[in-house]
Amino acid sequence: MLRAGRQAPTLSPLLLVGLALRPAPRSALQAAASFAMAAMLRRHSNVFERLEGLASPVFLIDPIDLPISLLLEAGLPAPRLTALRDGDAVPAPPAAAIRGPLRALIELLEGRTDGDALFFSRTLTVEGDMAAVVALRNAVDGADIDLAEDLLRPLGPLGGPARRLAAAAGALYRRADQDLEILRAALLAPVQRRCDTQDVRLDDLDETLSNAPKRRRGQQV
Amino acid sequence: MSGAALELVCPAGTPAALRAAVDAGADSVYLGFRDETNARNFPGLNFSRDELAEGIAYAGRNGCQVLVAINTYPRAGDPGPWHRAVDDAAGLGAWAVILADIGLLDYASSRHPALRRHLSVQASAANPETIRFYHDEFGVKRVVLPRVLTVQEIARINSAVPVETEVFAFGGLCVMVEGRCLLSSYATGESPNMNGVCSPAEHVRYEDRNGRLISHLFNFAINVFAEGEPAGYPTLCKGRFQALNRASYLFEEPASLDVIRMLPALTEAGVTALKIEGRQRGKAYVAQVVTAFRKTVDAVARGKEPAAADLAPLTEGGRQTTGAYEKTWR
Repeated sequence: MLRAGRQAPTLSPLLLVGLALRPAPRSALQAAASFAMAAMLRRHSNVFERLEGLASPVFLIDPIDLPISLLLEAGLPAPRLTALRDGDAVPAPPAAAIRGPLRALIELLEGRTDGDALFFSRTLTVEGDMAAVVALRNAVDGADIDLAEDLLRPLGPLGGPARRLAAAAGALYRRADQDLEILRAALLAPVQRRCDTQDVRLDDLDETLSNAPKRRRGQQV
Repeated sequence: MSGAALELVCPAGTPAALRAAVDAGADSVYLGFRDETNARNFPGLNFSRDELAEGIAYAGRNGCQVLVAINTYPRAGDPGPWHRAVDDAAGLGAWAVILADIGLLDYASSRHPALRRHLSVQASAANPETIRFYHDEFGVKRVVLPRVLTVQEIARINSAVPVETEVFAFGGLCVMVEGRCLLSSYATGESPNMNGVCSPAEHVRYEDRNGRLISHLFNFAINVFAEGEPAGYPTLCKGRFQALNRASYLFEEPASLDVIRMLPALTEAGVTALKIEGRQRGKAYVAQVVTAFRKTVDAVARGKEPAAADLAPLTEGGRQTTGAYEKTWR
């Protein structure tokens, strides 16, 4: 069942990863979130400084293809990132929620895609305090974030092998994404054919109606 | 035809966007200070004085100029922030300031005569008499033309004025009363002309109702987008309203300006510079649009026809228009 406010995700490797994540202990998810937050604060403290004017810099970041969401409490001096699973109590009321596929959210975080374009295409949905959302978007876009580099740098000498592992995982992801796209097209093909047939029938009906002689009101049939 | 290339004037809302614009081949970058002195006074956007200094240095190392937009109208009795903005732009070495208010133009021309002055689109100067006035009285070197003119009308203006002209080439469209629009002010009490914000974010609310996206500005529901329908900005001018039992866009439809294929005609019309709109957009938008226009501007200068550029995914409502440049309405 979909969580409230969520749109249906598309079939992607991340959706499958998300299903695999379901049994992961909450403590492991939280440890990963805290590690990411520490790296972000160390490398990009200016993001949090740019948000200092907000009354409540608390955001729910909701990747629709994962069974978790993240609560970002961005207020200095101690910003926090909390991993939430379905049904978890939210520790602080968010000022705004940002929802979208994880890939789009990461591209937005790294400034590789334009937030307005994601909104126009309905890939991204936002609700709550729009001033807070706009401030976060602008702060993040100005920060030159490279997520892989930011997360791997603290690993020190282990960073080299970890980078190679990340590159291999990236290649595997891209391959899986292409394969799943083929699978998705195959699964949807019968439905697509029926939709195409209905389209043609609707066009025919439209044409018939537009060519039919117009009758005046009250005219006998 | 071949000749001098059109100058590409590109937006920057953050230092990262400035670097993206410069790296993608901008000839000049326009930006604003982080306050109400410019018409994109959005949360988290714009430049501190230190960031402007760094931006000017970065642009200068790459042969690019920086223009500072100080294009809102000073509050009655409190011109201080606007005067400081002009002083700081001059002191930090900006190439030009983009101004709209005649009091501020007078201040800039008397205090900083060596600083280039451009007339903002917010001044709505759309005929030779008005433009000559700004040139004669305040030494304005360039006028940013409002998006109300056809290419033929722009050519006629260029032949009659002693200043350069700059025209919008890509990005968001205002309703065609720039500098005089009161829609945002009516709905929210804040306007682009005075406060630098059109439809300020704190007054915007989105609602998801069974897959339909409903956008609200203050207490006005201004649009309902069907599931999957491309969305637009939450401004009243792009609202879809019910009139005569039919929902339609009464002012203008959500679409972005794109005149990339008209660059030869604009060159022929005597235009000096092209403005890319979008200081509120991300650096990915800036990089992609500036790259496409750089390539096309250079091709046109070599006498080639402009090639199509796939900028549709960046457009509002997923649609492009040539707006008034090819006016098909009366």
